[in-house]
This record gives sequence, structure tokens and C-alpha cells, in this order.
Amino acid sequence: MLSIRGVTKRYGSRVTALDGVSMALDAGKVTAVIGANGAGKTTLIKCIVGLVRFEGEITVGGKNVAKDGRGVRRLIGYMPQDPAFHSDLSVRETAAFYADLKSAPLVRARELVESVGLAAHEEKKVGELSGGMRQRLALAVTLLADPPLLVLDEPASGLDITARLELRKLVQDQRKEGKSILLSTHWLEDVPYVADDALVLNEGKTVFLGPATELAGAAAPSSRLFLRLNGQVAEAAPLIKGLTNGAVEDTGDWLVVSCPATRKARIVEALVGAGIGILDFRVEEAPVDAAILDLQKQAGGKR
Amino acid sequence: MRATMAIMRKELRDAFQSRWLLAFSLTFALVALALSLVQGRAGDLSEQGFNRTTAGLINLCLLLVPLLGLVLGASTIAGERDRGTLLTLLSQPISSTQLLLGKYLGLVVAVWMAIALGFGVAGLLMTFVNPLTDIGHYALFIVLSAALATSMLSLGMLISVISDGRLKAMALAILAWFVLVLLYDLGAIGLALSVSSSGRSLTLAVLGNPVESVRILAVMSLEPDLRILGPLGAYLTEELGKATSVVLLSSALVAWAALPLVAAERIFRRQDL
Repeated sequence: MLSIRGVTKRYGSRVTALDGVSMALDAGKVTAVIGANGAGKTTLIKCIVGLVRFEGEITVGGKNVAKDGRGVRRLIGYMPQDPAFHSDLSVRETAAFYADLKSAPLVRARELVESVGLAAHEEKKVGELSGGMRQRLALAVTLLADPPLLVLDEPASGLDITARLELRKLVQDQRKEGKSILLSTHWLEDVPYVADDALVLNEGKTVFLGPATELAGAAAPSSRLFLRLNGQVAEAAPLIKGLTNGAVEDTGDWLVVSCPATRKARIVEALVGAGIGILDFRVEEAPVDAAILDLQKQAGGKR
Repeated sequence: MRATMAIMRKELRDAFQSRWLLAFSLTFALVALALSLVQGRAGDLSEQGFNRTTAGLINLCLLLVPLLGLVLGASTIAGERDRGTLLTLLSQPISSTQLLLGKYLGLVVAVWMAIALGFGVAGLLMTFVNPLTDIGHYALFIVLSAALATSMLSLGMLISVISDGRLKAMALAILAWFVLVLLYDLGAIGLALSVSSSGRSLTLAVLGNPVESVRILAVMSLEPDLRILGPLGAYLTEELGKATSVVLLSSALVAWAALPLVAAERIFRRQDL
């Protein structure tokens, strides 16, 4: 469905935003593009949508982006990181306007506005919508022409946990319908649940490209789990150490556990299973940059 | 086609919601009324008097229409860029050419309607003071104003495409207006004569400014007096004859409407978002 071969994007002679990136995305598959800010995720997505010129070749459904940008965009539903619509148009007018641009039937626009839960707000001006509502409208617009490829740029940014779960469900539903999905994300721990493959970028270069399940082990993003227990610290500490190689520190009030992000739920589950009462807990995720740096060190510049 | 029409309708709607068109029509009507009253008080209620009033309106048009066209044209793409909506629009299955053309056509229709309204209300007010006797000239002025607006919108679009924000686009549009409407007459003629005193440089000086072309065409139709035509108009009429001058000036207007738009399209197509 999507083929990217040796894509390089330079801004002037000094800045190389993308450096020889290649990947392929088959029909019905999901690929997550991961990277810190400035890694080149958005630039790669803009290349795919034909919004910037680049060296290399990108084809979508066999159509070349550089030669037939308009034809390619017919096959893509693109949701930008910060979707911007005309604030003077209502939700209904916005959906109808973009239906016209995508040659989609107006009835489809109405259905999608309903399906994203904006039916009650359809006469509201876009300028009056909350950030979450605007994100929903963007989603409706993205799906208007029922495109075979969805390109979602940081769709989870700014969303609360409920909205993130809804988004995860949407990605799964769209995949079931046979759509290919390329999504960029900061949320490394989400990747194995939503994506088949992962592409990790750092400073425009590929540092990992492969199955998402392998990424979890390779990148090993870490979390710090703060647990307030019901006095059974002496029993809890060895149990936790048995589950993870990370450090366990007793600060008096809290038991602080450093562990791989993918193990934190297992720890909570084991404590509950052992009958140890958890009075409170909170989680601190290490930034994605740290995990990517780990990956880069492991790659040793070979990739 | 459906996409271009959708962009055009949206632009038309935006133009009517902006205060520029309303301000233009209102100013035009009020000044027309004032001109008619002054003419009426002077006791000149003849056809010649009506012509003088319309000549006054043309001068007003030469000031206001370029400003309107340049400002509206300049705010289109630069405005979308500022709001972040340009990225949303261009990520749809439309080409940059379709977007530019849709916006241009929408603005052209909006400005033509504003000119028709302004001239219409002005004409109506003038007939209360002086009976309308020379509809032909009046209609010609409407056409010339519309042609001037069309070329100024085209130049405005070019300014909009090369500007990275609305503020810069507005500043450039006002600078262009200042040069074309206020400075050009003295500057271009002076420059043309200093470079070469030949007729060719004078002709180029006329054709290099659509405002000047419209002014000469309007005066030529109204009162083909060499003194009123000014040095450039007088030169053209004397050297080339009235018919050739009209064809040349009209062709220049068409070129001014097309060339900046073509340049804008070429540049816009190559820009990264």
C-alpha cells in the first residue's frame, strides 16, 4: 500500500530532516513511527502526503507522490498533529466543505459527524469547540472519503486516557476493515498494542525498523512505579525483585520501583495476587528520547 | 471542479464576511453622493456635469479599487498560512493550482459584486441630483474598475504566496498600492525619461502599471483631450492613434490579470509546507 524508498529531505544546505528513510506498509497493517521532537516524524508524513518536496521515491497504491500528489491524496486520510479548521464554519459546514474537497457524498459527512459524537454540536462554530471535539472533527474529516491508507500524526497528543483508549479502538477497527495505518507517536508503550511494525527515527535517520513486538524488548522504555502499600514492604520487595531486575527503594512512605515499562502492570498484578494491599500508586514514564538513545547505542550506527 | 467550486464559494463567503467590501461600497456611495451634491450646487446639471461627477468617481476608483484588490488578494494564502488551515486544505485531494484558482475566482466574483453595488448605489444617488443621461460611459467605468480589480487581485495573490504571514503580506500590499497609485506617475515617467527619452520607454511606463492603463482608458473614453490625458496618455494617442492605444492598454490589463497569477501558481506549487 505504501512504499518509501531512500527518502531524504533537506532544508537548505545544512539541515537534513530525513536521511535515506525506507519502509513499506502492506494493506491491513499498522506501522508506528516513533521519535522525539525533531526526529523527522512529521516531515516523513508530510512527504507521504505530498506537502513537501523530497529526494527518493514514495508510492501509495502504486501512485507516485511526486508525480501525482492529488491522486495519492485521494487514497490517504491524513490527520495532522494540530488539526486546524476555519473557525467561522460550523461543524456541519466544515464536514460538508471537506466532503466537497474529497468528492465524498454529503450524507457520509453527516454520518461521520454523528459517529464521532458531534451530532449535538453540529451547529457550533469550530472556534467554539474544545480541543477534544476539534480532534474528533478532524477524525471525521480524515475518514470522509473512506481512504485505504490512514496517516495519523501524533493522534494521541493532548488526549486524556479515555480518548487514547478510544483512539486505540479506532485504529483496531480500521485495521479490521482492511485499512493500512501509519501513525506517529510519542507513546512507546502503546506501540505493541496498536502497531504491527515500528519505525524509530532519530535526527532523520532510521534507528529501528521491524516488528513492534521486537521494539518493546529492544528499546525497553523504563518506568518508575511509586507504590504506597498497606505495611507489607518486607514481603513485597523480594516479590518485585523476582519479577524485574530493576531497583526497589523504600523511602518510608513509598516503595519506588524502577522497571521496564512493560512490566509495571505485572508487578501490580503480582502484589494484588499475593494479597498485599496497595493503598495508592502513581507512575512516571521515562521520556521516549531516552529509549531511542538506548536503541541508537544498541544499533551502534549500523542501521 | 467540485473542489475548486467549494474553495470559490468559501472565499466568496469570507469576502462578504470581511468588512473590506462593505466599507468599499459604503465609501463609494457616500463620495458619489457628495460629488453629485457639489455638482448640483454648482448649478451644472447638464450631461457634462454628470460626466464630471463620473470622472470624479473614476479618480476615487483609481485610489480605492487597487487598495481593495491588493489587500484582499494578499490576505488569502498568507491568512490560511497564519491560521494553519493551509496545511489542512493542501492535504486534501486538491492541487495547489486548484486552491489558488478557486480562491482567485471567489475573490474576483466578490469584488466585481462590490464594485457593481458601489457603482449601482452611487449611480442611483446621482440620478436624484442629476438625471442619468450617459449610461454608456458609466457602464464602461464599471467594466474598467472590474478589470483593474481583477489585475490587482492577481498581484495581491502573488504577494500572498511569497509572504510567510498575513502581516508581511499586508505590508507588501500597501507598499505596492503606494507605488502603483501614488508614486508611479512621477517615478516611472522620470525613470523612463532619464533612461531614454524614446517613445518605447514611455509606452513601457504606461503598460507597466495597470492603474495608469485604466486611468488613460477612462479619460480617453470620457474626454479625449490631450491635456487631460496627461503626458503618457497624450503620447500614446498621438503616436499610436486611439484605437491602437485602446487595444494595447486593454491587452496590458489582461496581461496584468494573468501574469502575476501564473507566477503565483508556479511559486506556490514549489513551496514546502
